[in-house]
Amino acid sequence: MNRATLTLLTLLLICALSLVAAQQRARKLFIAQERAQIEERKLNQEWLRLEYEQRNLSKSARIRDVARNQLRMSPISPERTLYLRELK
Amino acid sequence: MRPVGFSTTPNLVLRLPMWRSRLMLFLLFFVFMLLLIRAFWIQGPGNAFYEAKGVRGTQRELELSASRGKILDRNGQVIATSLEAKSVIAYNDTVPDDLSAEKVKALANLLQISETELRKKLKEERKQIFLKRQVDPAVAQQIKQLEIPGIGLNNEYRRFYPEGEAMAHVVGFTNVNDKGQEGMELSREKDLAARPGQRRVVVDRLGRVVEEMAILQLPQNGKDLNLSIDSKIQFLAYNAVKSAVETHHARAGGAVVLDTQTGEILALANYPSYNPNDRKYLTGEQLRNRVLTDTFEPGSTMKPITVSLSLEKGQVQPNTQMAIGAKYLVGPKPITDTHPYGTLTVAQIIQKSSNIGTAKLAMNTTPQEMWDLYTAAGFGQAPKIGFPGAVAGTLHPHKKWVPSDQARIAFGYGISASLFQVARAYTIFARDGELVPLTIERSPEFKAGTPVISAKTAIEMRSMLESVTEPGGTAIKAQAEGFRVGGKTGTAHKLVGKGYGNKYRAYFVGLAPISAPRIVVAVMIDEPTGGSHYGGDVAAPVFSTIVSETLHTLNVLPDAKVKQMVLQDKTPEEIRAANAQAQHVVLKR
Repeated sequence: MNRATLTLLTLLLICALSLVAAQQRARKLFIAQERAQIEERKLNQEWLRLEYEQRNLSKSARIRDVARNQLRMSPISPERTLYLRELK
Repeated sequence: MRPVGFSTTPNLVLRLPMWRSRLMLFLLFFVFMLLLIRAFWIQGPGNAFYEAKGVRGTQRELELSASRGKILDRNGQVIATSLEAKSVIAYNDTVPDDLSAEKVKALANLLQISETELRKKLKEERKQIFLKRQVDPAVAQQIKQLEIPGIGLNNEYRRFYPEGEAMAHVVGFTNVNDKGQEGMELSREKDLAARPGQRRVVVDRLGRVVEEMAILQLPQNGKDLNLSIDSKIQFLAYNAVKSAVETHHARAGGAVVLDTQTGEILALANYPSYNPNDRKYLTGEQLRNRVLTDTFEPGSTMKPITVSLSLEKGQVQPNTQMAIGAKYLVGPKPITDTHPYGTLTVAQIIQKSSNIGTAKLAMNTTPQEMWDLYTAAGFGQAPKIGFPGAVAGTLHPHKKWVPSDQARIAFGYGISASLFQVARAYTIFARDGELVPLTIERSPEFKAGTPVISAKTAIEMRSMLESVTEPGGTAIKAQAEGFRVGGKTGTAHKLVGKGYGNKYRAYFVGLAPISAPRIVVAVMIDEPTGGSHYGGDVAAPVFSTIVSETLHTLNVLPDAKVKQMVLQDKTPEEIRAANAQAQHVVLKR
């Protein structure tokens, strides 16, 4: 066995080990990505749900009830409205 | 004696027959050959089976979920959205027979079904069965925690409609598989529908995904849809119609609000309605979008269109005097008015809604001219707004008209149209003679229309329509606070069987503000009973409510004289001072 063979053998070993390491890293990253995607989906759903809830709280029927019954407001009428004109 | 070596002694020489070793050699060779062939087979042509087996153990095809598009109103408010839900599935051969009564009870409670029903479902022959679909995720989590073997959860979506009844006929609804069934959900199914994707992954022994092999199909979320409807206007129109139907003990009602500048439909309300969130009520008559799918004889609401033809031809002016009389005989039955009039001006014919006057004017024009005008105004053609079930109504070819047909079509009998078509026709008065193309999708830019009548005629007709709502007209109740309005009442006898019975439809179609029309509003109340059945009494007040509230919502400046109770046209300092004072008053209280 001469030196060249030994060097190549070492190189081969290093390559083999780094391949295993890279595979392991790829799997880990993949799992992390999967988790992130699931999280994204969850957050998306959460956002949609919150948007729906906000809409439910701001729907016309509820606003009318709150304004009339809780805040004792009445519909606007032209004689009690101050009309401002935009300055051009 | 020649010495003989021990190993070569002739006595010890084995005399095995040659064939035995040959046979052995051949057999060994043969077996090795068999092995070789087998190995070759497995590696080569026979490989697929083993490969498939390997793949089955490690690879899976998973669905990539996609959600249906949202439906939004013109201000971006959500009116239909899909939220995640779960379906609960029982794999009946895995569910243990001796399931504890406690768990069955808990599961039945969570599913909101009775215990006996649940037990029946679990005993069914089928391998898997939906116990319940579209279960709330929180409830699904509780079901999971019961840890009953053979009870699984699947992902799916459920559609929610925050505006409920008020918007039901516009939006429609989807079925349990998230497919559109009615309204916009049906007509825009193609755009709204979600297209789930698929991917192939490698899983480990425990079924965890460890590697993605390929994405077979990319998931595609449905597109969001922006409608021209304004939730606020829709809500107030719905409520106005609802309360009118209730007060007048009517069978049904409908209203439509159009923006004359952009051609957008701002509201389209029907009553009775239904709650699209509750699947129990998604059948029956209440699903009908009466504004678009019910046709009726437009009655007096047709008169302004007929009269504008005479104005357009220059035969009469708004102040031309006409002899009316108590009866006008065309065909077998005389035409009459509710009150007999001696003479009326053309403007008064509209204001008082005289059948005789309208018929007399119409008889001076040809059937073809009338037919052309009605067709140009959209009668006899289904509106192309992409709504399922929008009808065309009937407008018979003018060649078939006999004189009595012509006289009656002139005031809206013997012709049928939907409320939506009548509203569309009135855009010609709002837009100085142009028929505006309508849309239900948000497009807030000015639209050019198709000229139908001249601007002069349209402006003359507007002031006649305004006179209808003034003292002496048929619809004083249409007046809206702060705004000048104009319109036409209609009270049509309903066809019952072959003749006209004692049932009516009351309408009011109008525009506002008259000085620069921004909206066209049409209201229909079907079979009002108890008290008056006239359009001016039943439908006009609904028009009034819708107009004043809609114009406030659209920030339109009042054009009628109102007695101001606040300071107008003040300098900013004065306004600030007034504001400060107002706040002071509030604080004192």
